[in-house]
Parts: sequence; C-alpha cells; structure tokens
Amino acid sequence: MIFLDYASATPVSEAAKEAMAPYESAQFFNPSAPYLAAKNVRDDYERAKSDLAHLIGAKGDDLVVTSGATEANNLAFSALDLVESPTVLVLETDHASILNTAKKYPTELIRVDRTGLIDLEDFQNKLTRNVAFVSIALANNELGTIQPLAEVAQIIKRERMARLVAGDARPLYLHSDASQALNLVPISVARLGVDLLTLSAAKVYGPKGVGALYHGHNVKLAPIATGGGQESGLRSGTENVAGLVGFAKAAAEAKKHQTYNRKHYEKLRQVLKSELEQSEIAPLFLGNPKHQLANFCPVSFPGLDAERLIYLLEDDEIYLSTGAACAASKGEPSHVLKAIGLNSREIAGSLRISLGAENTEDDMRIAGQKIITAIKTELARK
Amino acid sequence: MKTVYVGMSGGVDSSLSAVLLKDQGYHVVGVYMKNWSRDLPGMKCPWAADLADAKRVAVRLGIDFKVFDFETEYKQKVVDYMLEEFGKGHTPNPDIMCNQEIKFKLFYETAREQGADLIATGHYARVWNDEVARLKELGSPLAGAAPEQPAPSLLRAVDENKDQTYFLYRISEDAIAHTLFPIGGMLKPDVKKLASEKGLKNAYKKESMGVCFVGEVGMEDFLKEYFPEKAGPVVDLDSGKEIGTHNGAIFYCLGQRHGLDLGGGLPYYVVKKDIVKNTIYVSRNLNSAELWTNELALEDVVMRNYRARGLANDKEIFPQKITNARGPESRTGAKRNLGEGPTERCDFEGRKISRSQDPLPIIPVYVRLRHRAELIPATLVGNKLRFEKPVKRPAPGQSAVFYDGDVCLGGGIVV
Repeated sequence: MIFLDYASATPVSEAAKEAMAPYESAQFFNPSAPYLAAKNVRDDYERAKSDLAHLIGAKGDDLVVTSGATEANNLAFSALDLVESPTVLVLETDHASILNTAKKYPTELIRVDRTGLIDLEDFQNKLTRNVAFVSIALANNELGTIQPLAEVAQIIKRERMARLVAGDARPLYLHSDASQALNLVPISVARLGVDLLTLSAAKVYGPKGVGALYHGHNVKLAPIATGGGQESGLRSGTENVAGLVGFAKAAAEAKKHQTYNRKHYEKLRQVLKSELEQSEIAPLFLGNPKHQLANFCPVSFPGLDAERLIYLLEDDEIYLSTGAACAASKGEPSHVLKAIGLNSREIAGSLRISLGAENTEDDMRIAGQKIITAIKTELARK
Repeated sequence: MKTVYVGMSGGVDSSLSAVLLKDQGYHVVGVYMKNWSRDLPGMKCPWAADLADAKRVAVRLGIDFKVFDFETEYKQKVVDYMLEEFGKGHTPNPDIMCNQEIKFKLFYETAREQGADLIATGHYARVWNDEVARLKELGSPLAGAAPEQPAPSLLRAVDENKDQTYFLYRISEDAIAHTLFPIGGMLKPDVKKLASEKGLKNAYKKESMGVCFVGEVGMEDFLKEYFPEKAGPVVDLDSGKEIGTHNGAIFYCLGQRHGLDLGGGLPYYVVKKDIVKNTIYVSRNLNSAELWTNELALEDVVMRNYRARGLANDKEIFPQKITNARGPESRTGAKRNLGEGPTERCDFEGRKISRSQDPLPIIPVYVRLRHRAELIPATLVGNKLRFEKPVKRPAPGQSAVFYDGDVCLGGGIVV
C-alpha cells in the first residue's frame, strides 16, 4: 500500500499508542473520582494538556479539549454569544466546519488568489466596525497553502486600536484552524497573534476523535455541552484521558522532527513531481509553491476525471483523494478549487496528494508511474 | 456496435448487468440516476455512496459513466404524486411511478437522445423485442430464456421469488422495445455468485430496502412531515362503538394491524377509513366483509401484449388499439383506455368463446395484488376484476397486475 492521503487521516504513531495504552486499561479511572488512583490520572491528564499547550506557546488552562477540530471550531464561534449583532469574516477556502458554522451569523467571505493565499486588501476592505470574528485557517486542507497569519493579526490590531480611539468597545477576535499546520509549521499563539486556535490529533499521528481549542484570556466562550463542568465548565463530559495523552505525545513528536520532516517531504514531493511531469497531460500543480505545507502536492490533470483515476489506483493499493473527504463524499465539486478560480475541467481533474510518515522515495516513483499508467488507461478509453 | 445505457445503482444486480452487457460486446455506458433525497440532519440517504459504488464498477469495466440528475422531476412525478395520493387516503406505490415516469421514461428518453440504441437495468424481469430475438439467435444467455413473442413483451423473471414485473407493468411499449434486462434470466444466488466471480466487490452488499427518499424512518414518519397529526376516532365496525383515538387517518393503511393502541385481546385490523371524517374503522373479525371482496374496480388500466399472447386480433378485443386509446387524461398521466368494447369473449388461445350480454370484453387473467404475492385467477371485464373466490381487498392506490403465463398483460390501480 502507498498511502497518499495523510491530509485526511494519519495512523497513530507507536509512541502515542504506547502512551495511551495504560489509560485504556489499568488507569481507566474517571479523573474526577475521589480516590488517589483517580487523582493520579487527573494529574496525568493535566500534564498532557500542559505539554500540548506548551507546544504552541500556551498554558494548559488555555486549552479546552474537544472531540476534534470540528467541535473546537464550533466552540470558537461561541465567543460571539455575548456579542451583539456580530458580523463574521471567514476565508472562502475554509473548512466546512467553519463555513457552515458561520452561516448562523451575517458572514462575508474573504477572497483568495489563484494559489489560495488570502487577498489582504479584500480582507482590509471587509473588516468593518461590525466585524466581531475573523477565522482564517493557518494552512488550507486541500491546497496546503499557509496563510500570513501574523500580517492578518497586525491588521486586526490596528482595527482594534481604531475602535478604542473611536470609543467603540465591540470586540474583534481572530481565530485560526491549525489542524493541518500543526504537523509541519512551528506554532506560537503569541507570534501568530490569534485569540483562538483549533488543533486536531488526527492529523499529527494521534488518535481520531480528539482536538483542542486554545482561547486567549480576553475571550469568553460559552459551552456547547453542559453537564458536570469539566474543562473549566467549557466542555462537560468525562475527560478522554487516553486520547489527550496520545495527542500530546504525537504532537510533541511532530514538533521534534518538524525541521527534518519538512525537508524530507519537500524532497519526496520533488521526486513525485518529476514523475508526474512525464504524463501525457501536463500536470497543473496547485497551491502556493512558496507558502505550502511540505507534504501537500495537489495537482490537476485538466480534462480527466480524477475520481476515475482514484478507482483505478485503489486496485494497486495506492490511495489518494480528490477534494477534502467530506466534500468529495457529497459528490459536490470542491469549493476550494472553485475559489482559486479553476475551471470545471481543472476541478474535475484534480487530485489531492498529501504525503506522510510511511512514504519513501521509491513510493514516490512507483506512485508517480502508476498515476501515469492510470492516466494512459483513461486516455485510451476515449 | 450497439450502444446500451445501463442504469447503475451501485448494487450487485445493475453492476452485474453492466458486466454482462460488456461481455456481450455492447458499447456500454453506465448511468447513475440521481433522484430526489432529503438532505436533513438525521436523514441518511446513501446516494453519494451508491454513486461511488456504481462509478467504481464502471471504472473497473473501463466504460463511460454519467450522472443523470432527475432530482426535480423525481420530486414532481413520484414524491408529489405519492403525497397527493396519501392526502386522498390512498396507498400509492412510488416504485411503480418511478419506473413509469423516471427510469423507463426520462432515463430512456435522455439515453436515446444521447445516442443510446438500447437501455438496460438490473431489474428481475424479461423482455421480448428485436434485440432479444437477435440475442437468442446468437445463443446469448442475455436473451434470458425468453419465450418467443410476436411483439415487444414484458415477461416475468425466471427467478419467481425476485420477479419485479409488478413494479414495471406501466412502462411504455416503446421503452420495452428498446430495453434489456440482462439478469432477468438468472436466479439471484447465481447473480451473486457470478458477480463475485467477476470481481464485483459489492456482490454481498446489503440490499437497499424500501423507498430511498423515505429512508430508515419509515413511511409514517415521512408523511408526518407533510401532514399534521390530527386526533380522530377509532370505530369498531362490528359494534359501531368508538373504542379509541388515532393520530390521523392518513397514516393508516387498510389491513394494517399494528400501531393501534387499543388494549389487549385479539388484534384489531383497519378495515375502512374515512379520510374526510378522519375516522378509522377497525375489526377483530378477520372474515369481515370489508376485508374481502369478489370484485375489484380499477382505474388507469393499461393493457399490453394482448397481441403477443396470441389473441387473434386486437381489434376484435378492443375497438381501439390500447396504446392509441383516446380518453381523458387520468390522474397518473396514463390514458384511460377501457370503456366500450366489442361483445366477443376470447380465451387465451384467441378462440371466440361465446356471445355475451356483457358489452365489455371478458379477459381471463392471473392477477397479482402485491409484489411477490401469489397469482390469482380472475377475469377482467372492462375496468373490473372478478374473482372466483374472495380476495383480501388491497388498499386503494395499490396496483393489480395481470398475467398470462410469463407475459405481463398490464394492470390497473385499485379504486
């Protein structure tokens, strides 16, 4: 098997598995229980949270552990609960969990250029006094385009100052979904200038079903799940101890090998790209070559039906995808590819290739050749 | 090379149909028909997964694959019709409507416009037409062991247990003349086995049951989204006494036993309902006269294949050829076509039997009142079916389908 869809799922790393194991059996106690054995589990949980927070330059108390990035994104919007008639700005290429949650509010979409990079001028124009919430994913989940979030934060800072000067006390929050970025981009909430940041274990070789939302001290959140008051009352429900411990372990590992991995993936991607250049149909590499996650290699073969290529390649146990898994499963063309201005032939011919831990240079050569063979098969049919 | 557009649902039957057509040497184009579905929280209608399954099979076969979007038409012709009928207190059959209006009309017509010589589906049924005659001459199994007929005919499947002609009796002669049912000559277990041998991974996929757009929630819950619940009396037909309360006559079906919380003892059956008065009549008596009948009045009767049966002369049986019959547009869009007729009686061999006082032709048939139900001998006189022994009365809106041997002669909708 050659897996080329790490943007949709990553296998749990051996280290994370090992770290999680005790909490799924011997240390199964509810962290809220009164006996010492349970208190020890509570301590382990808090330590894991603290470790995870430190990786992004935050403290354990700044994190709310959730069931994943989608829930964290939903929770981030709860910052608007106390704001009167807020307007929301979101990037048009953002994930469905942002776009669909934003629908509850008057929303404007911030445009991107052909590489998926934010149009800062458009953003500035749309950043009016009514805007209370801005959400911009740190790295896009289909293109891997990394946004200049610090620049966005600067603009927001200026707007906040202007509001102060004008005696306007309405808040303005910056949220970013860093699910895809956490693996390969060094993240510091202070440097990014975000008030809210979403993290996911499932994209960094941690378990599925675990995520976290960082929230700055200035942000007042409202819980979606109420109950026993866990997570400082922001997310009730018995803590997923094993999940968080695995998440923290996996994220720490990712950070440790970040520099090496970036270079490694860049090299692999180069090998794959040169293979794909041999195709009868010239590949159109998507995204921003300067600002792209190193493991992303989105590509279009205009005029082909990428779905057919996927079904041909799955027989060779080569797994890749078209758009984001959730969009593709609805049979709708990707809103991301539309947003960057691809025509329908280019969208139909688009593959999302994303590399990961198990990939080797040989894999790249084999996969590249198999993709080219699949393209030949498709062309021969016509 | 002839071009066949095959309707592919992602299931084993239509997938194997595509394979068999390809093996036979046709230029095969797979088509997924996207029908109306409700994209609501809590609703699971797996069309996207089915589409992917269908496309996957098409890609493996190396055939073209298209998606025909019939969502709007399906909503109008099938869903709205069904709701309208339920609103009148009837129990319509959406599958029959889907075949008449969507699969063997819209799909057929669109396919032909796009260059198809023939269409095919994975239905368990057989046809006789020029193409099948040609296949039979070639000795192809695709001919489905169809007995020779002089004209385009719809025939029951070889697998009596799976036969789907009950749902197909209203499809047009034109469509039948250009349709292939590649697995109609096979038994279901053989279909599964062959599909597995051909490498179709969905060979053992769970079969879809029920009407897709209704989903897992069931018809009653579906209807509740369109018709408000309204309390009404439950009356015991035998005693005339009101014995309980129901939540809306629309939600109950004649013959239904469940869902009436009327305390213990023998079960009650719904034997009658008055949609205007919102009243349900029930009985404990399984022999209640309301439940049984010797005669069934039909409307929207369609007749097919009477020539194919070997009846001497259709003009003798019907003064006008049925498919050209003039008559007021009926509710379902079909032409009303039985009214006046000659005075001859014929048996199946076309022999005139006797003069009759009855002004209408008397046609002996076998009738199926439900999908997969037994075949009951009866005579069709005009738009009435007469049975020798009483039959359990089907709910108005259901179909009665006529057969002569393997041949489906048509059918009508129970009044």
